[in-house]
Amino acid sequence: MPHGEHISKKQLEAEGESARQLMDKARAEHEFAAHGSAGGREPILQVRGLVKHYPLTQGIVIRKQVGAVKAVDGVDFDLGQGETLGIVGESGCGKSTVAKMLVNLERPTAGEIRYKGEDISKLSGRALKAVRRNIQMVFQDPYTSLNPRMTVGDIIGEPYEIHPEVAPKGSRRQRVQELLDVVGLNPEYINRYPHQFSGGQRQRIGIARGLALRPEIIVADEPVSALDVSVQAQVVNLLDRLQNEFDLSYVFIAHDLSIVRHISDRVGVMYLGRIVEIGSDEEIYEHPTHPYTQALLSAVPVPDPAAREQRERIILSGDVPSPANPPSGCRFRTRCWKARERCALEVPALAVPAEFRYEEGPAAHDSACHFAEEKQVVP
Amino acid sequence: MPDPREPDGTAGAIAPTGAGGAMDLAATEGSTLDKAPGGPEGSGPSTPARSLWSDAWRELRRNPVFVISGLIILFLVFISLWPSAIASGNPLSCDLANAQKSSAPGHPFGFDGQGCDVYTRTVYGARASVTVGVCATLGVAILGSVLGGLAGFFGGFWDAILSRITDVFFAIPVVLGGLVLLSVVTSNTVWPVIGFMVLLGWPQLSRIARGSVITAKQNDYVQAARALGASNSRMLLRHIAPNAVAPVIVVATIALGTYIALEATLSYLGVGLKPPTVSWGIDISAASQYIRNAPHMLLWPAGALAITVLAFIMLGDAVRDALDPKLR
Amino acid sequence: MATVASEASASGSPGTSKLLEVRDLHVEFRTRDGVAKAVNGVDYSVAEGETLAVLGESGSGKSVTAQAIMGILDMPPGKITGGEILFKGRDLLKLKGEERRKTRGAGMAMIFQDALSSLNPVLSVGQQLGEMYVVHQGMSRKDAKAKAIELMDRVRIPAAKERVGQYPHQFSGGMRQRIMIAMAMALEPSLIIADEPTTALDVTVQAQVMDLLAELRRELNMGLILITHDLGVVADVADNIAVMYAGRIVEKAPVHEIYRAPAHPYTRGLLESIPRLDQKGQELYAIKGLPPNLMHIPPGCAFNPRCPMARDVCRTDVPPLYEVAYEGLAAERRSACHFWKETLDASW
Repeated sequence: MPHGEHISKKQLEAEGESARQLMDKARAEHEFAAHGSAGGREPILQVRGLVKHYPLTQGIVIRKQVGAVKAVDGVDFDLGQGETLGIVGESGCGKSTVAKMLVNLERPTAGEIRYKGEDISKLSGRALKAVRRNIQMVFQDPYTSLNPRMTVGDIIGEPYEIHPEVAPKGSRRQRVQELLDVVGLNPEYINRYPHQFSGGQRQRIGIARGLALRPEIIVADEPVSALDVSVQAQVVNLLDRLQNEFDLSYVFIAHDLSIVRHISDRVGVMYLGRIVEIGSDEEIYEHPTHPYTQALLSAVPVPDPAAREQRERIILSGDVPSPANPPSGCRFRTRCWKARERCALEVPALAVPAEFRYEEGPAAHDSACHFAEEKQVVP
Repeated sequence: MPDPREPDGTAGAIAPTGAGGAMDLAATEGSTLDKAPGGPEGSGPSTPARSLWSDAWRELRRNPVFVISGLIILFLVFISLWPSAIASGNPLSCDLANAQKSSAPGHPFGFDGQGCDVYTRTVYGARASVTVGVCATLGVAILGSVLGGLAGFFGGFWDAILSRITDVFFAIPVVLGGLVLLSVVTSNTVWPVIGFMVLLGWPQLSRIARGSVITAKQNDYVQAARALGASNSRMLLRHIAPNAVAPVIVVATIALGTYIALEATLSYLGVGLKPPTVSWGIDISAASQYIRNAPHMLLWPAGALAITVLAFIMLGDAVRDALDPKLR
Repeated sequence: MATVASEASASGSPGTSKLLEVRDLHVEFRTRDGVAKAVNGVDYSVAEGETLAVLGESGSGKSVTAQAIMGILDMPPGKITGGEILFKGRDLLKLKGEERRKTRGAGMAMIFQDALSSLNPVLSVGQQLGEMYVVHQGMSRKDAKAKAIELMDRVRIPAAKERVGQYPHQFSGGMRQRIMIAMAMALEPSLIIADEPTTALDVTVQAQVMDLLAELRRELNMGLILITHDLGVVADVADNIAVMYAGRIVEKAPVHEIYRAPAHPYTRGLLESIPRLDQKGQELYAIKGLPPNLMHIPPGCAFNPRCPMARDVCRTDVPPLYEVAYEGLAAERRSACHFWKETLDASW
């Protein structure tokens, strides 16, 4: 079986579209063979070479491009049916931009988002509207994601007004009440306004709106980070229950590694617009091979003072470089304690590192590091 | 474990006022969560659907500020249409012999500098002044908020163009512009004056509308609507407009008084309304030179103007508050 | 510093010097909709060199207490309706305006969550750091600038000399928080209150800032009150923990014990509801319901509507802060639960 990663990017571009597709296919097969991920089922979503650059311009009426913020710069992943893919990373790593592209709130600069094999990133008009029914989003901030001037009934019922074919007019109100019930709110609250609810309850309303069209995929962008600790668990449990009830696939984006581990089947770690490591939750948390993942995991405060002496913490120096001017080669090299000359010259591919390629085991998962090395950091 | 309090009982108790609802809901959430999913509890007979506008209307009817200002405005509209209903005299029949006299039987407000009856002129002046004020405000508000709103929503090239155009208009001095533009007009109606005001007034409102649309646009609920597949018009009308309209209403209602006063200034300079048209503005500017010996001449038309402006500002305030569910 | 220290000894405080003691503090907010009881009888103390973590969710009164200590509470609508705040033996609430103001900066300082909005965007960081010396010590501008560079070095901002003239927006979030820390440290106060100092930061930066804070505390032997909602952050640096709920302390314990043996159902619920990094759990334990409305705090124990162990007595009697005497546990533990023993039996 050909390993797509051996083909360099330049070669790929030269050979054109068909080669790329072939390679993608090969890579997808490779991933399946390697990990048996996504429960062996056909991936419902395939993301390939996703890029988003925001142009930096000068001038007022006549704009001149002077550069670009490379928010997302080549992201690939698959999402299996019924699976939860967690994406973690620090602020500015591009994870929210990925979420927005998945639900078509932003157009990718390049790359493909294939939903059941069809590229949806370039759709428009009616075709786009139809696809939107199947991929919905839950937002981070329960205070700005609900229109303060609409009743809860109008907010959750709006999807039916936009897609009238989903529910006939007469049945909509009942459906809204059913949805309220499903997310654990009293159906009588239908005529209330968002400000009459607490943060956790508002997040439930946002989830009900996301469920209204019976989507297959829900992209949740930091859905619990704005909530109080004691309420976070309620919402996480609700998301868990809904996944089983409606056979949903989640892309769960968060900076909180503990919550991501709890809810995800597979986890991707992003740094400066790229996925640096991706694998099952066990592979990432117990057997991380990328230095950034290791640093990230070791920095998470663990609520156990007994562990505080035993744990080795990797404290990274410096700050995340600007995405307008990312470092050459490996983007993490400016903060990496392992960086050598090669890291500045060669971009490491997201693949099973050579060291582990012929190994069966949890360390053999995709990691974009030239000097990948397994290191256990979680006690 | 069953919670001692019934969610329905609490919810019902606070439903009529709605105030402090969040807290009471908070107290009941525990029990709501405890119930098995899909349980029949609480799905009683469905209440009629409510919307922002029906709730706002219900709120307005109960608001004394709205009722009072609404009655004043209705009264103003009434005397603008039928001034003879409450003033029997003729505003143009004046006797110089009565000039500057204070109140006399049958002439409660006294006489002006030309010996005209101030009461009659104040009543008849409402038509021109209210027409100028209301029409100029409506014109400015509609043109300004549509252009500014669209520019703010779509952004990009046309937004840049519009912003530069508003800059140009801001640079035109109002009085000088009036002298130049209105001096070529020969029509003796209020429309050229209104047209001039709309022409020079819309950039102010457009700037405010643009700003508040840009603010509203960044809210996640607009993104959520887009992710659902909502059209641009739906996002603008359902989500952005109701959340961006408040500052426009405030500025527009305050501007209404300015337009009535501007009409007076223009008339004083001889380019606004011309006699025999009667307006508060003309009378106020005429009376200002007699303010020391005959203050009543100024008092009545100016008082009418003040009450009118106040009524519109109060109305605007009431409407703005009614459209904000948080204040209920 | 020396003068303040002598004051403390003059007031006759015994042996272990309590730097700060809050006694039965009550704070209310009078609003249009009613009176919100934000702080309802808080007692805690911090000794020199001690790190006390105050843990609580939004609305628990943890930040309001801190603002009352600092004297930066907005009054009105806020009102301190009772209690004492003893700082080195003197009741701050009885001090007059000017005297009170002098305790800030030199006596105690605060670090806020949002460094960007706490720094003035139109002044360079050097100017803002130097300002402290110009105002409090009458230093010349030139000396103040040198001091500012020294401070920036101390909080380990690289290339301090070159960056002293830069503006807050030119620094990253972590660097800005370091500048805030430098400002708080400038006059070497004996007490620092840090209100969610790392909440707005990324995990990797969080660790750096926490380390810096802990190290400086050790160096200067300050008292540190660390206000947070994050159980993890607390575990790494605190000596003692006070858990707040609905304006009261519900549990006080040394840090290494509270995680193993919580003596209040709320603490226990919080600990169980956070997912663990080191294991993939099943369903999370969730404390049902929501924190109470401060205008209608439930009678009895404020936590009773959400408590799995609540009995009749919990709905009528406010539990005092019981002394927890339990075999194998430290002496200075407190729990405001009628059934602390049962709670410990269940978790320990």
